[in-house]
Amino acid sequence: MTLIASRVMRGLAVSAAVLAAVAVLDGAVHALLAQNPFGAPRTAEPQGGIFGWLLAKQSEFYREISQAIRAAKSDGSAVWTLLAISFAYGIFHAAGPGHGKAVISSYMVANRETARRGIVLSFASALMQSLVAVAIVGICAWLLNATAKTMCGAEKAIEIASYALIAGFGARLVWLKGGGFFRALQPARPALAMAGAQQHDHDQHDHDHRGHGHDHHHRHAYDDDGHHHGHDHGHDAQHVHDEHCGHSHGPTPAELAGPGGWRRGLSAIFTVGIRPCSGAILVLVFALAQGLFWAGVAATFVMGLGTAITVAAIALVAVSARGVAERLSAARDGGGMVIMRGLEFAAASLVLLFGLGLLFGYVAAERATCL
Amino acid sequence: MWQSVKCLVAWLVLGVSVVLGTAAAEAHPHVWIVAKSELIYAPDGTITGVRHAWTFDDMFSTYALQGIETKVKGAYSRDELAPLAQTNVESLKEYAYFTFAKGDGKKQKFTEPVDYFLEYKDSALTLHFTLPVKTPFKARQLSLEVFDPTYFIDFQFAEKEPVKLVGAAAECKMQFERPNSDGTAAAQKLGEQNFLDGGNGNFGMMFANKITVDCP
Repeated sequence: MTLIASRVMRGLAVSAAVLAAVAVLDGAVHALLAQNPFGAPRTAEPQGGIFGWLLAKQSEFYREISQAIRAAKSDGSAVWTLLAISFAYGIFHAAGPGHGKAVISSYMVANRETARRGIVLSFASALMQSLVAVAIVGICAWLLNATAKTMCGAEKAIEIASYALIAGFGARLVWLKGGGFFRALQPARPALAMAGAQQHDHDQHDHDHRGHGHDHHHRHAYDDDGHHHGHDHGHDAQHVHDEHCGHSHGPTPAELAGPGGWRRGLSAIFTVGIRPCSGAILVLVFALAQGLFWAGVAATFVMGLGTAITVAAIALVAVSARGVAERLSAARDGGGMVIMRGLEFAAASLVLLFGLGLLFGYVAAERATCL
Repeated sequence: MWQSVKCLVAWLVLGVSVVLGTAAAEAHPHVWIVAKSELIYAPDGTITGVRHAWTFDDMFSTYALQGIETKVKGAYSRDELAPLAQTNVESLKEYAYFTFAKGDGKKQKFTEPVDYFLEYKDSALTLHFTLPVKTPFKARQLSLEVFDPTYFIDFQFAEKEPVKLVGAAAECKMQFERPNSDGTAAAQKLGEQNFLDGGNGNFGMMFANKITVDCP
């Protein structure tokens, strides 16, 4: 028992260390790139020299956006300046809150995603953020000519919905990963063969469950449209779902390769992308008032591109950290699986706690522009 | 087993607090305000309130004016802006009006703003409002800080006459401390200094605009 306990403890310690490393790195990147020149009221991050200069630059970028839009009114070539500034601003600004770095990074770790998927997720969620910002301003301000108060109400509603989504997304990950973690803890006997047998049983169970799900879906699809296409579609969806649920048992090489399937990442993209950045909304409204809405839209998308680069870089760090943990844990026979399952579970919990923290106001996020 | 769960929870709490700690550090301004403030004294020397005039940057001003109908295009009268001013002061309540007062070290509260209105000039909105002190007080030393702890709003006091004492006794001395000249140059110096000092500087105080009034 003590042997197992110590193995579990070691596993947890390694998982926690990797997570903490990711968190600290994430924090360090924020501290270095964030525009706040003073750090937080309570946390004192050393920043100076070249970083101080970077912070100063970032502040300038945002303020230059309004000047560039004004200039573009009379001089068309100023649009290029506007796009260049927006791109640079997006890169730096993504270090700020509300851009889902924490969610995407944790998701990458929890869900064993590949680096390529991390990049795709980052870009897709940034694209969605831009689209939402354009949609809010396009509908509220341009079509309905609503007041700032109404727009801010819409922003706030979306904000709360996005926090709830993060919490829900985290809860789902915890549910999926928690099962894997506690099952990984259970094969207390050192015999790997036994563990394998148990897993096999589990697979059987899963399979049964799948059969049920398939039947149900099958019928449902027919009910809906009574159409051959409908059946095919339903089957496909169920298949993707299987892959996901399948994660609760031990990893197979095929699974580690992380097969594609947009559906799997779609919830992550939606969770992160639904919340637009306040800066983009301000820029869009300002451009609209100057009669250059299209320039604002272009700036928003370029800003999103810059944001995506930063978020993707952070997601890649998370993936490599996970890879290192995997290699380290693989060196220890037996305990390795516990370490990795523990790491995934911890990352999933982080998403849940982050969502709950945002929802109940314990976590400060970039707030909607409501004054 | 139970032990390990507890350990896991402990590590999670640590991880979360690191993430949350940095989340607080991430905020950066989207709104810039140039402020002017007046401290209002009653004839007997008690402090009764603070009168602010906050001028917003052009981007936020445009955002705030979105959807407001006017008789003359591009000109906004005080009446036309009245509903917006109302919204402004109502929203500011949540943030304690970004105004933090202490009389001889004791925190003082403000009641809801009075005499508030908006002015539109040179494509910028200026919000005027008076914050009455909940219980007017006398203090040998009054300190007043104006800042946004989340740094969503950057407060800078005007170059000319940033702070005025209205009706204060002649022997009262006012001191005004800016966070730094442009919000960045001093931060850079501060950063380097702090780095050398081992990072134990008190950053929180550094980005507040601090007004101190000593009345013997």
